[in-house]
Amino acid sequence: MKLLERIKNLFAKRRVLIFLAVIGPGVIAGNAGNDAGGIATYSIIGAKEGYGLLWALVLITVALAVIQEMSSRMGVVTGKGFGDMVREQFGVRVTLAVMALFIIANLTCTIAEFAGIAASMELFGVHKYISVPISAFVVWFVVLKGNFKQVERFLIAISMIYLTYVFSGFMANPPWREVARQIAIPHIRLDKDYILLFITMVGTTITPYMQFYLQSAVVDKGVRIEEYKYAKFDVYAGSFMTIFIAFFIIIATGTILHPAGVVVDSAEAAALALQPLAGNFASHLFAIGLLNASFLAAFVLPLATAYGLSEAFGWESGINKTFREAPQFLGFYTAFIVIGAGVIMIPDVPLIKIMFLSQTINGILLPIVLIIMLRLVNDKELMGEYVNSKRMNIISWTTVSILILLTALLVLTSFVTL
Amino acid sequence: MPFFAEEIFVSDVHRKPVLDQMGEEIGRLKDIIVSGGEALPAVTSLVISSGGTTYVVLWDLINLFNRRVISVNTNRKSLQPSAPSPNDILLCRDILDKQIVDINGAKLVRVNDLELGDVKGHLCLVAADIGFRGILRRLGIEARGEKVFSLFRYKLPQKLIGWHYLQTVEPKLTRLTLTVSRQKVARIHPADLAEIISEVSQKERTALFGSMDIETAAEALHELERQVQVDIIDDMTREHASDILEQMPPDEAADLLGDMPEAKAQELIKHMEKEEAEDVQELLEHEEDTAGGLMTTEYLAFPPDMTVEEAIKELRLEAPDVETIYYLYILDSDEHIAGVISLKNLILALPEALLGDIMKTPVKTLHLDADENEVAEFISKYNLLAAPVVDENDLLRGIVTVDDVVDFLLPTASRKKRRRL
Repeated sequence: MKLLERIKNLFAKRRVLIFLAVIGPGVIAGNAGNDAGGIATYSIIGAKEGYGLLWALVLITVALAVIQEMSSRMGVVTGKGFGDMVREQFGVRVTLAVMALFIIANLTCTIAEFAGIAASMELFGVHKYISVPISAFVVWFVVLKGNFKQVERFLIAISMIYLTYVFSGFMANPPWREVARQIAIPHIRLDKDYILLFITMVGTTITPYMQFYLQSAVVDKGVRIEEYKYAKFDVYAGSFMTIFIAFFIIIATGTILHPAGVVVDSAEAAALALQPLAGNFASHLFAIGLLNASFLAAFVLPLATAYGLSEAFGWESGINKTFREAPQFLGFYTAFIVIGAGVIMIPDVPLIKIMFLSQTINGILLPIVLIIMLRLVNDKELMGEYVNSKRMNIISWTTVSILILLTALLVLTSFVTL
Repeated sequence: MPFFAEEIFVSDVHRKPVLDQMGEEIGRLKDIIVSGGEALPAVTSLVISSGGTTYVVLWDLINLFNRRVISVNTNRKSLQPSAPSPNDILLCRDILDKQIVDINGAKLVRVNDLELGDVKGHLCLVAADIGFRGILRRLGIEARGEKVFSLFRYKLPQKLIGWHYLQTVEPKLTRLTLTVSRQKVARIHPADLAEIISEVSQKERTALFGSMDIETAAEALHELERQVQVDIIDDMTREHASDILEQMPPDEAADLLGDMPEAKAQELIKHMEKEEAEDVQELLEHEEDTAGGLMTTEYLAFPPDMTVEEAIKELRLEAPDVETIYYLYILDSDEHIAGVISLKNLILALPEALLGDIMKTPVKTLHLDADENEVAEFISKYNLLAAPVVDENDLLRGIVTVDDVVDFLLPTASRKKRRRL
């Protein structure tokens, strides 16, 4: 009886409405982490290692949820974005250093997203000179003309298209017992390839723009402190969904490509390789997934940059604002799209180098962002009673230490491979 | 009494060593405490930190305070460690890097640096630096930055907001509000006002204009760039907009209306006083870059049979309403332009002389269709302050004053720069 009451209470109409109103930033920020580069990494991991790295996803889910929750909490409690807080608490020097890295990392990443759009559309026979300008215009137009609510709904809708990967995973008809066994009793190898793939997987899933975007979006949306428990759920749901999708990408390529011994080096190669083994439909689903992932991140990256810069330098920002009201914010947004799409139009762009650069800079930036974040989230002046609890600090410092170690290794290896 | 520099930026002294009277280092300047609640907050003490200990030293104990030396009038050993009280306002902690918002809460920019200055013997917070220079100074590379920019022939501007345009400081500030209230606005020079207006966004600008009296608004509007003018007028109520347009010189008003959609412009003209409306309407009919478009319809015209004495009396009455009083045009009974008298010649002439006898003939005139360059050449060739504009029938229709074409006479670089967004 009591249980029934509690369930009833949980689904009371008012609560559901608040929940639906608050949900968004966490889901979008999380899914945007599964961008073109992420999809490529997961496809490669599945093809190369089969189910051998699935166990790591469990850990990544926890790490992502812990970090995203702190970002969201800081936004809700202080009403300030991460850029605001860095500038106000750490001054001009640190702000400029963080922003310089942030711009370079995000710009290279944006270029990679448009490359993802070009590659996936080319699988459908659409030339990049058609697909890239059109998608760039849509990305620009939706944010410029839409208000916050419309843009958020649009991005949530895109996030749901990721579920095509779940469909692909089931279509592959994997041996579920074997999958479960691999997660529960992992066969960790200590050779170079395996470790490198593991580090890349972590590095591609947790990137600074996700934290910047999440905190700014929570502020722009105006989530209030009373609504925080719903915002927390939004973040956890977003983190879970992100890894849930990654899981099915690895399942799909691990079930079909790995046993056949097909090695791929990109997401579009994975889509192509699926065609003879699993048919046209499976291949198309993968291509649509890549297109969608690139498209979502092509929104979120320029937005995260524009938010971050506007906050750091005190310019007006917000999706609801017009070009006249927030010229710098929308100016940077526009510039990022123009440059990101423009570079892809240049013939023979060294894409691999650009993506390496993006990965490296993100790897350097992430530890800085995480340490700053932990210092801010424990500042009583800013957070009041919402500072990290002792238990939360143990979890978060452990997570951050491991992440810093892994990204340091990632940066080192990318220097070596370059 | 401390000896301090007349002007000093906080970033120039922040983290600089502080010496005692023996010349030994006490620690480094960590922060500066100011008094709250006043228009210009005065420095009351300095916070010095050395290792883990901090000292709060009263301003009166300071001996020297400039970008090279900061010294205290006591012995290092006699200082007791102390910390600022919770309600103290610390410049670096509480004001530097904070957000500046306008009266409506829209974000403008952040405080990049703070300027201290001498106000009646006290060192006070006088301005917030919001420019790129401030950022360079914070990084300690202002001079080098200037050099780099000078390679591109660009002079980095100082962008300061006087502290009297900002709210009074109080403890636990999260943002600084630009308080451009009705009273303060009236005292600001129109060109400075234009600077503030160009810093604020569209919506706020309209609100700002709403808070000014008509005359101030018209003057401030005059200093802004055309597109900004159009935006502001466009956002106002019809009545308010037409009131401001009436105040402006007719040629300015006509130019502005010429850049607006036809229907909206006509609607505004309909709401203006009849006389001003007719002037503007007439000017609007000419192409903007011709003599007809540049001219103003306000000029001094007298009949030839008037005496100098009567003319001067008349001049006194009419002068406030016209842009230029240096030329008096003499019109005959058919309204044809018969001659011209300069103000100087009018004053030098005998009071009983008739205007027709002292006027200069023939008068050089411009046609309504003359383009900007022709007008500029004409004015510069004959060394005029204003040139009369006539129609096909040789009837005087208006005058173009030198300030309307001065941009064409000067080399590009020295043209007056109007404020834009």
